[in-house]
Amino acid sequence: MAELMHDDAVFRPKPSLPPPPNTVGVVGWLRKNLFGGPFDTLMTVVGATLIVYFGHKLFMYGVVNAVWEAESYRECLDITGGDGACWAGVDRWMSNYIYGRYSVDERWRVNLGFIVLAVWLAPFWFPRVTQKILVGVSAVLTFPFLAANLFLGGDPGLFLEVMTAIALTCFAAVWLNVAACYAGYKSVGVVIVRVSGFADKDDRMHKWVLLGAFGVGFVLAFLYQSTWDLAEVPTVNWGGLFLTLVISGIGISSALPAGVILALGRRSKMPVIQVFCTAFIELFRSVPLITILFMAVTMMPLFLPVSINPDKLVLVIIAVCIFAAAYMAEIVRGGLQAINKGQYEAAQAMGLNYWKMMTLIIMPQALKLMIPNIVGNFMGLLKDTTLVSIIGLYDILLMTKASGQDPKWLGMHTEPMLFAAAVFFVMCFCMSKYSQHLEKTIGGGYGRR
Amino acid sequence: MAVLEKGSPRRESRSFGEWVNDERVRSVFYQILVAVAVIFVAHYLFTNTTENLKARGMSSGFDFLGSTAGFSIAWTVLPYNPDDNYFHVYLVGIVNTLTVSLVAIVCMTLLGFIVGVMRLSKNWLIAQIAAWYVEILRNTPLLLQILFWFLAVFSLLPRPRDSMSLIDLFFLNNRGFYMPAPVPGDGFDLTMIAILVAIVATYALAVWARKRHFATGQRFPAFWTGLGILFGLPLLVFLVTGAPLTFDYPSLQGFNFVGGVTVPPAFCALLLALVIYHSAYLAESVRAGILSVSHGQTEAAYSLGLRPGMTLRLVIVPQAMRAVVPPMISNWMNVVKNSSLAIAIGYPDLVAVFMQTSLNQSGHAIEIVAMVMLFYMSVSLSISLALNYYNKLVQLKER
Repeated sequence: MAELMHDDAVFRPKPSLPPPPNTVGVVGWLRKNLFGGPFDTLMTVVGATLIVYFGHKLFMYGVVNAVWEAESYRECLDITGGDGACWAGVDRWMSNYIYGRYSVDERWRVNLGFIVLAVWLAPFWFPRVTQKILVGVSAVLTFPFLAANLFLGGDPGLFLEVMTAIALTCFAAVWLNVAACYAGYKSVGVVIVRVSGFADKDDRMHKWVLLGAFGVGFVLAFLYQSTWDLAEVPTVNWGGLFLTLVISGIGISSALPAGVILALGRRSKMPVIQVFCTAFIELFRSVPLITILFMAVTMMPLFLPVSINPDKLVLVIIAVCIFAAAYMAEIVRGGLQAINKGQYEAAQAMGLNYWKMMTLIIMPQALKLMIPNIVGNFMGLLKDTTLVSIIGLYDILLMTKASGQDPKWLGMHTEPMLFAAAVFFVMCFCMSKYSQHLEKTIGGGYGRR
Repeated sequence: MAVLEKGSPRRESRSFGEWVNDERVRSVFYQILVAVAVIFVAHYLFTNTTENLKARGMSSGFDFLGSTAGFSIAWTVLPYNPDDNYFHVYLVGIVNTLTVSLVAIVCMTLLGFIVGVMRLSKNWLIAQIAAWYVEILRNTPLLLQILFWFLAVFSLLPRPRDSMSLIDLFFLNNRGFYMPAPVPGDGFDLTMIAILVAIVATYALAVWARKRHFATGQRFPAFWTGLGILFGLPLLVFLVTGAPLTFDYPSLQGFNFVGGVTVPPAFCALLLALVIYHSAYLAESVRAGILSVSHGQTEAAYSLGLRPGMTLRLVIVPQAMRAVVPPMISNWMNVVKNSSLAIAIGYPDLVAVFMQTSLNQSGHAIEIVAMVMLFYMSVSLSISLALNYYNKLVQLKER
């Protein structure tokens, strides 16, 4: 007992032993993740064998035995004996896969259009820029008209000219706003009001000043765009990845607003509106896209007045928009249902009317919840756009098929399809990874999930 | 008007402002507005259509269904010849669509579950393989995959003379897939009856075992016994009646195979693409479903003394299925819908034979589009009814 009184009797823990060597480091990782037991080891061996076998085959086919310089598919076959890819043909057809049969001299317009869109949307990623919603809304609502004017050329007609001018003004406003934000102001509106000398007047005056500034910009833009003299490129010459992006882009940008309206209609308490919206959504969700496309191409011309002979591309775009809107409506409805009823009640208790409640309280929360599904829907639409090849629009898929029917490159099917698959994979993979990133950064902001 | 006054019986007279700002008045106003707009658009489309039909000298109505189709169809499940009428073409198309969809659904479900479980494997390599399988297949268009299998795989197979064969019973070449066809002999009906009896008996056994388990706590090996009955009874009857089943084997005669069952390359390519593409989607649902069961459930089951196998079967799987089945069923619906892409490679499904060939020949666009949409809508409607029924069945029973 006496020993306990001694200082040494105080409990001093020994330093813990290091973990057994076979549970740490590379060996430990291997044991844990690859060779955990006899069955695990067997699976690893089988899996590794499969990977090595197919990886080797693909590498030999795509790289080692591949032909990069050739004049025809026959020449490729003579060199490889059919064991290697004929990338020479893909390279020769590359511009067609991207632009279709768009006139070579006019292809800068396609490039310019997509560059303008990228520059337009770039402020989204600038941290100091305010009013990002307006950036997105203006791009979605007005850019398609600018692009139509730019891509189509010829005589656009007054409507398209006006819309183009509005789009140009919006574009200028977006980038003036960026400049203003980085110069330390709150937005471009503040700058305009201050410069014009109405800063000390009341808010209602400010609105008119801004509208006037927009009007001046509009007139300038209208005069500017009327100097354009673009050669007409008919839509039958549009093709390749360009056409795929045009169709899916318009489908995507119209799907969100149309889907929101349909979803609100379906949840509305007014029976007539509810019935129409539900019928529309259910009808177009339950049939395959290809039937809607056939309907658009064969039935819609019958519905229109005899004098109108609509462009096939326009009919297809209408079909894609209908399809996308119906799917988006269900996603939006899911998002709205996920919002706590207390949010609606709180908004009503604050005295907000229906539209204010929806736009200020419900939709911002619901849209954040919906991001993964919306992006998934966009990816689906991008992939589904390939169906237009069935009714004879030369999108990227039909272009790859056409290259295999070219007399010089007869029989070249695998290589162009691998190329197209890679293009789609890169686009969709990036979108899905970006949506996961968005989900983390803005979706979690309110402590949900 | 009467409706409005009934809605506000308290006051006799109201100012215009109050009246306009009444939510019920507005609601009725908007609804009338929408209804009028829809009716107006419908009327506009209808007049245009009648004018168009008159201008093109076309008739409308379903009379054309009785006239002879006159074209041949490459491959049909139902017997068909070009003298049959358009309505028969419609049925042939439906059966062809349903055939490929059903086979695809069965295979896709199996493969999807396997890949989904593989994605959750503790083995890093296996999980990675499954993850990349899912990523690559989900991020490329289905139509591209169908064309790839058709143009780059099934069209490049050897000629019939150099067919790939499996134990000389199954042959694969660029004309399709050949397999032996069963030919039932006399007395085979008895075996079919035995199969039915076995199914009923197994079901009854399962019900009885479950009841006994709940009543006494004793478990009965219903699964293995059921399996024994299911296979044993028909086999016994089959052998006792003298094995009345022969096979018609495919054999090479001249340039092609004769006999057996033939499936065209387009069917194989479509089936393979549908199975692989949709299995990737199903795998994700399966993975999410299994992950949705909290780990506490496993621990609770272990602490109750259940063995790992029983934990999986009695605790994890039933709860995971609640999350897996709804997306799985909508996946099945997508298989039926996406089988319409068959048209791109010439498999004669409903859209190909009816919406394309028949429509081009007869010109009855509206009727044909409506009939095709009706078919797909009824399929999707019946599937969603089944889904609703299932959801009611498995809904959490909240107190």
